[in-house]
Amino acid sequence: MSGLTAPGFPERQVRARARHGAAAAFPESEDYGTTLYGEHGEASARPEDAIDRARLVPPVFVPHRMEKMIDLGREPVCGDVDLTTTIGGFRSAFPFFVAAFGSTRVASGDLGEAVARQAGGLGIPMVIGENIVPVSGYGRMAEEKESSLLRRITEYASAAPDGFGGVVVQQSTEDADAEVWNLVYSDPSAAPLLESGRLAFELKVGQGAKPGVGGMTLVPRKRATELSSQYDVLDIYEPAEDSVLRCSSPGTFTEEILRQQIRLMRNNYPRCRVWVKLPPSRDVHLAAAVAWAAGADSVTVDGAEGGTGWAPRAFLDHVGLPLAECLQRLDAQDNSLLVSGRIWEGARAVKCLALGATAVGLGRAALVASDEDAETGLTNFVECLALEMRLLISSLGKYRVAEVGAEDIWTEARSGEAFVPRNG
Amino acid sequence: MSAENTGAALPTPRAHLTSERTRAALLVQNRFLAGARDFLTGEGFTELLPPTIGPVTDPGARGAKQVDIDYYGHRYKLMTSGILYKQASLLSFPKIFHVAPNVRLEPLETAVTHRHLTEFHQLDVEIAGGSREEAMRVAEELTRHCVEHVLSTAQRELEILGRDVDGLKRVLDAPYGRMKHAQAVAQLAGGGYGQDENTEIEWEGEEIISKAAEHPFFITDYPKGSRGFYDKESAEEPGVLRNFDLIFPGGFGEMMSGSERESDYRNLMMRIRETGENPAKYEWYLTLAREGIPSSAGFGLGVERFTRFLGGLDAVWQATAYPKLPGELRP
Repeated sequence: MSGLTAPGFPERQVRARARHGAAAAFPESEDYGTTLYGEHGEASARPEDAIDRARLVPPVFVPHRMEKMIDLGREPVCGDVDLTTTIGGFRSAFPFFVAAFGSTRVASGDLGEAVARQAGGLGIPMVIGENIVPVSGYGRMAEEKESSLLRRITEYASAAPDGFGGVVVQQSTEDADAEVWNLVYSDPSAAPLLESGRLAFELKVGQGAKPGVGGMTLVPRKRATELSSQYDVLDIYEPAEDSVLRCSSPGTFTEEILRQQIRLMRNNYPRCRVWVKLPPSRDVHLAAAVAWAAGADSVTVDGAEGGTGWAPRAFLDHVGLPLAECLQRLDAQDNSLLVSGRIWEGARAVKCLALGATAVGLGRAALVASDEDAETGLTNFVECLALEMRLLISSLGKYRVAEVGAEDIWTEARSGEAFVPRNG
Repeated sequence: MSAENTGAALPTPRAHLTSERTRAALLVQNRFLAGARDFLTGEGFTELLPPTIGPVTDPGARGAKQVDIDYYGHRYKLMTSGILYKQASLLSFPKIFHVAPNVRLEPLETAVTHRHLTEFHQLDVEIAGGSREEAMRVAEELTRHCVEHVLSTAQRELEILGRDVDGLKRVLDAPYGRMKHAQAVAQLAGGGYGQDENTEIEWEGEEIISKAAEHPFFITDYPKGSRGFYDKESAEEPGVLRNFDLIFPGGFGEMMSGSERESDYRNLMMRIRETGENPAKYEWYLTLAREGIPSSAGFGLGVERFTRFLGGLDAVWQATAYPKLPGELRP
C-alpha cells in the first residue's frame, strides 16, 4: 500500500473487496445466525445521489427466465448470467472497463502497471489517460527509461486472454504535439493489440468529471520552464514549496470540430476503434449524438461524482451534472454508452445499465483495489462486483447484460411510470 | 503478403546497388526528373531547394509518425511534406517547385503495400492564385511529358526492366478521366468492397480501382476529415474538399495528391483544431497567414511511386538506391 486515500469514496469497502473478493458482497460471516438484517441493516454506504436512491425492481413474471430454463433444461441460477459484453467494439468478460485516470502522479508508477496487469488478466478494456508522453516521454530510445504508457501497454497485452479486452489510449491537445496516437500506431510493442483488433484511441473532450478545466497536476518547480511551452503553469504555492500547478487546456470544440476529429481518427487509424470521452456538461446529449453520428465506436461520460485527478475544490463540489442526470439526458439507442462516477458495487453498476449504459468504468475503485493488493486486489474486487451483478440481474429474471432495461429500475423522478395499467 | 515485398526479402546494399535492374530503374527516374524540370521550367516555374527540418511539418496522415529531432533544445521535425513552406514560398515567386525529401514513420502494416517507404521524395508544385483545375492541368501535362520523355530517352532501361511499353503509351492516348470520391466509393461498394464514405480510399480499394482502369484519372472532392487542414473546403459544398488524387492504371495506384489550399487565417485556425492540434504549434505559419499569404493550388508527385509505374516495378523500394521500409533497419 502506498498511502493512497480517496476521501468521499467508499474506500474502506473497496479495500475489503480487494482483500476478500466475493465474500465481501455479504455481511461478515461470523454474524450469521445471530444478526437480523433489513434495509440499511449494515449501513454499507450512505446513499449519495439519485442512482443510489433508485431501486432495482424485480418482477414476478419472468419470461426470460422461462427461456433460459428451456435452454438449460433446469431452473437457472445466478451463475448462469452471462456478463460478457461488447464494450466499444471490444469483447469484455464483464460489463466493466478501467476508466482513464486523471493525469496525476498516483497512476503513473507501479500502481498504473498493477492495474494494467490485472485488467489484462480479467479481459476487461483499459483506458490509458492523457498527458503521459509530453510529461514523461515514451521511452523507445535505449537511454530513456521506459515510460508509464509503454509499460502499461506491455503489461496489459502480456496478461490478456485471447479475444478479450483491449487498450484505449487517450490523446489530449498537448498529447497531439507529441503525436501519441501516431507513436502507438507505429510502435512494434502495440502490434499484438493492433493485429488482434484490441487497440482503440480515445478523444478526450474537455476534462473528465470536471467540465471546463483541463487536466491539472503538480510538478516540481524546476520543470516549470520546460513545461511552460506546452502547458499553462501557475505558481500558486509558497516559494519554499517545490510544486507548481501544471494545467492542460480543455480544448476548443464546436460541433464541426468534434465531428471532424472523429472522422480524422477513423481515416488515420482504420485498424483502431474510436472512443470519445465527454465531461458531464449541459449539452452532453448533443455531443454524444454528434460523436455517434460521426462514427465513434463508443462514448464515455464521466458523471460529476467521478474523478481521480487533481482539481480545484470549486469544481469538485459545484461543477458538472450528476451521473443520474447525464443518463437521463442521454439516449444511446443502439450505440455503446459507457459511464463512470463512483462505481464501486454491483447495484450501482446494474442501475446504470438499467438507465441506458452499456458498461461502467472503474476509476478510483481500480486504483484503490490495486493499491490494497498489487497482485490480486483488482481481480478480487471484480470477482465481488461480478457476483453481485449476477445476483442482481438474475433477480430481475434476466441472464444477459443487454437485457437489463428501464423497466428494471424505480427512481423518484419516474415514480409510477413503469407500472403496467391495471387492466392492461 | 508477398515475401518479396517485405523487408526480410530486401537485397543487401551491395547486391541492390550493383543490380542491373536497380541501375535501370534509377536511370528511368533520372530521365523523368530531367523531363519534369524541363517541362516546369518551360511553364515558368522556379525550382527552390526545400527545407528538411522545421518546428512543424505536414500533420501526420494515416497514422504516420513524424521524426522529432533536438534542435538546440527545441523539438523540430524532419519534413513529412513541405506543403506549408510551399505556400510561404509564393510570397517570393508565383510558381514554384521542389524535389523534396520526406521522412514518415509509416505504420508497420504499410511494409507490405508495395508502395510505402519511410524515406521518399516528392516533386512538389505550387501555383499562386491557381485553381484546382489549373493544378490538375499542370499535373496531367507534366506526367504525360515525363512519360514521353522516358519513352524517348530510356528505351534500353525499359527493356532491361521488361516494361510493357504499350502500358506506358496508353497514358498518352486520352485525356485523364475524372471521378468524384463519392463515385469511387460507390464503384467499390458495387464490387462488394466496403469503403467508408467519410475516409480516404483505403489502399486495398485504391488498388482495385487502379487495376480496373485503362487510363490515368483523377479522384476529386474528398470528404473533410480525410485530409490535412490545408486542403480548401468547398464554399458551395460544405464538407467537400477542393482536392484531388491522381491514380494510374495497372494497380499502381495513387501517384500524387493535390488541392486548392486554404489560406484564410480564421479558417486555418478552425481546420487545425479539427485535426486535434494546438494552433500555437504552427505559430510561424499562422503569423504569415494572418498577415496574408497568396491563395494557391498545387500537388506533390511521389518520385519513387512514379518511377515504379514508369519502370513497371513490383514494389516502390526498387525505385530507390537506399530503400527504407517501415520497421526495417536499413542504411
